[in-house]
Amino acid sequence: MTEILVVDDSKVMREMIVACLRAVEDFAFTHAASGLEAIEKLALQSFDLVVLDLNMPDIGGFEVIEFVRGQDKLKRLPILVVTTRGDEGSRSRALGAGASQFMTKPFTPDAILANVQSILRQGAAGFHE
Amino acid sequence: MSSGFDASEFLAGYLVEAEEHLSASTMNLLAVEASLRKGENNPRAVRELFRSLHTVKGLSAMVGVEPIVDIAHAMETVLRHADRAAGALSAKAVEALLAGLRAIGERVRALSVNAPVAPAPPHLLDALAALEITKNEAPLTVEIDLEPDVLVKLSAAERAQLIQGVEGGRRALRVDFVPSPARAAEGMTITTVRERIGAFAEIVKVVPLSIPVSDAAPGGLAFALLVLTDGRDEELAAAVGATPEHVREVLHPRPEGGADPLGEPSTAEEDVGETEGRRRGIVRVEVARLDDALERLSALVITRFRLARAVDALAAQGVNVGELGDIVKSYGRQVRDLRGAIMRARMVPVAELLDRVPLIVRGLSRATNKPVRVVIDAGKAELDKAVAERIFPAIVHLIRNAVDHAIEPPAERRRLGKPEEGLVRVTCFERSTNQLELCIIDDGRGIDREAVARKASRPVPADDAGLLDLITQPGLTTLEQATKTSGRGLGMDIVKRAVVDQLGGEMSLRTTLGAGTTFTLRIPLTITIVDAFSFVCGDQTFVAPVAAIEEIVEVAPEGLVRGPARHTRFGEVRFLERRGEIVPLVNLASVFSLGAGDEPKALLVRRNGAPLAFGIQRMVGQQEVVIRPLEDPLVKVAGVSGSTDLGDGRPTLVLDLVALSGALSQNRTEVAV
Repeated sequence: MTEILVVDDSKVMREMIVACLRAVEDFAFTHAASGLEAIEKLALQSFDLVVLDLNMPDIGGFEVIEFVRGQDKLKRLPILVVTTRGDEGSRSRALGAGASQFMTKPFTPDAILANVQSILRQGAAGFHE
Repeated sequence: MSSGFDASEFLAGYLVEAEEHLSASTMNLLAVEASLRKGENNPRAVRELFRSLHTVKGLSAMVGVEPIVDIAHAMETVLRHADRAAGALSAKAVEALLAGLRAIGERVRALSVNAPVAPAPPHLLDALAALEITKNEAPLTVEIDLEPDVLVKLSAAERAQLIQGVEGGRRALRVDFVPSPARAAEGMTITTVRERIGAFAEIVKVVPLSIPVSDAAPGGLAFALLVLTDGRDEELAAAVGATPEHVREVLHPRPEGGADPLGEPSTAEEDVGETEGRRRGIVRVEVARLDDALERLSALVITRFRLARAVDALAAQGVNVGELGDIVKSYGRQVRDLRGAIMRARMVPVAELLDRVPLIVRGLSRATNKPVRVVIDAGKAELDKAVAERIFPAIVHLIRNAVDHAIEPPAERRRLGKPEEGLVRVTCFERSTNQLELCIIDDGRGIDREAVARKASRPVPADDAGLLDLITQPGLTTLEQATKTSGRGLGMDIVKRAVVDQLGGEMSLRTTLGAGTTFTLRIPLTITIVDAFSFVCGDQTFVAPVAAIEEIVEVAPEGLVRGPARHTRFGEVRFLERRGEIVPLVNLASVFSLGAGDEPKALLVRRNGAPLAFGIQRMVGQQEVVIRPLEDPLVKVAGVSGSTDLGDGRPTLVLDLVALSGALSQNRTEVAV
């Protein structure tokens, strides 16, 4: 099973993301409705990939990325950032903070599925080594 | 182009969430209005408004309601600025935002009854765009007593919120919650803790902190909660499963004439290049607008080429094109100049970029108890804003390492006969027309090659270059203990990734034991970023700008038509039918001599109106990439516009499929005739 943590404060958005990815039988999904909930789940359980929104009410996605990259056991965890178009600075900030890849909404199901699979493949081959 | 996903399936959920955000936003705007009447800002309401509109924008984009996307975007822009100005919103702004909410509401309701959605009203968008957000500076009368790692996470608005709360008579408290599976099993998670505390206190911020793993903290995680309350400490402590002595007051009245600790901009919001000082005659422009201008300019360049070709054709028919030819030439020159002018508008002074460095060093110096002097010499060098945004985190990393790890504690420096105050220098100059050299220099202990090698269980590197290779390995650190500011991971791999992999720059290191270390970064002054598809053909990954691709089509072999006499040196040209139009299909792999592979999909491009489809193996994804031009004339190939890094550290070629289709069509006539 490939455990995927889907982090977005919008329930509909989480459902859309899962709908795009559920074609792959091996994927199992856990939802987190806030950045803090995501950090808590990441600290206490183990995941193979995080799909992360940047704009959330408590702490933003950047802080989640920074936290994840600052933890030894989470350093290699692939993070796909999915956020709303129009904020030029956020892509570089997210990648600079250590996101594996960056996509903007609206996205097509093909695009997100392809991105997820390519990140997971790279992970298996030793991402960033 | 896809299956298994239908936005209409989510329409009901969208309508519910949109209505929720609209009603919450209306409440928040009314709260802002009430605060305004009292002459106060309401940073918290502004932040919530910003997030609501941002979410509405993203959701609306997913279900394809462009008018709402447009309105939400205009409102979000106003609110972002207001949030950065500690929640300052004028009565006029509140008015315009209320009108915006009404306009969104009307459109959401139209959607819910399946009625057509009206476009965004232009006068509303204009009114929102015309709003000016000014910061009304409140004198600061309090001091925040927090560890730098927590303080740094607070935005200007959150600090203002804390101060306002204290001035309003409440206490600002910090308490930490340590999550664990045992607590989660009892229903005690950060989510329920926040709900519980939210009942009697205003939560201003929750900061996650890495702590040593122990039986009580199996996740190595604690959440620091900053709250405003007039409740009792016992209540707060009970909510997180701690005892009252773990509750701490974080805001104190500031001693008369003391330093102003809140004057520092938060590094949690690194708006690179944006300085507070508003200078006369300077207009701030969103980079996106300049990118937009550049994009329009590329259309102009294409028109120029078409014009030139039309003039050539006339000349070929024997027409005298003397003057016309001159006009085309000077037009070309003007377009080039215009491009240069727009590129220059994107440049920011490096000195401005480094404005923040002294503040960062001051914070680090306080956190580590090491006096450090910082010297910055950036001269007049300028840098593309997009490059600046990518390089700044790397500079901060290097400075942080210098203060944290390189500079010795004062007692040790005294013993070594060095001045007690450590020195960090950042210098920069333009090396050539397109390269900037940045040095980060410290006078600390230098990097011990043998110690690094021992720690990494690798052979001792022979020179500084080998040492650099070693310390930029992911996850390496030479410090036994994690420090407060740098954490355990030194992040040198991240620096290398930003400088070398992302920007195509170079990095070098010179270090002398006991005397200090110099990191030299050479980076390009400008870069090009495009939204691109990545795909595989001939078992290799390529990328191509999204804007160049009209459509991604499925190739059904049985639907292909073979034309006569269309064998070319890159294989057979076939034809597919697309919406009644006959489109030639070539196998992209065979164009690049990678063997004719499968081609279940094809990328359709159009050049001067003529379509051409390139057969490919499979799509990989879509992302924004930094294009590095291929400088070497020996590797310049028609159809290849540069290379990029998709994050794996390997170069990937960026294809210009429109230019390639041009090259092929010339080739084809030669071969086919």
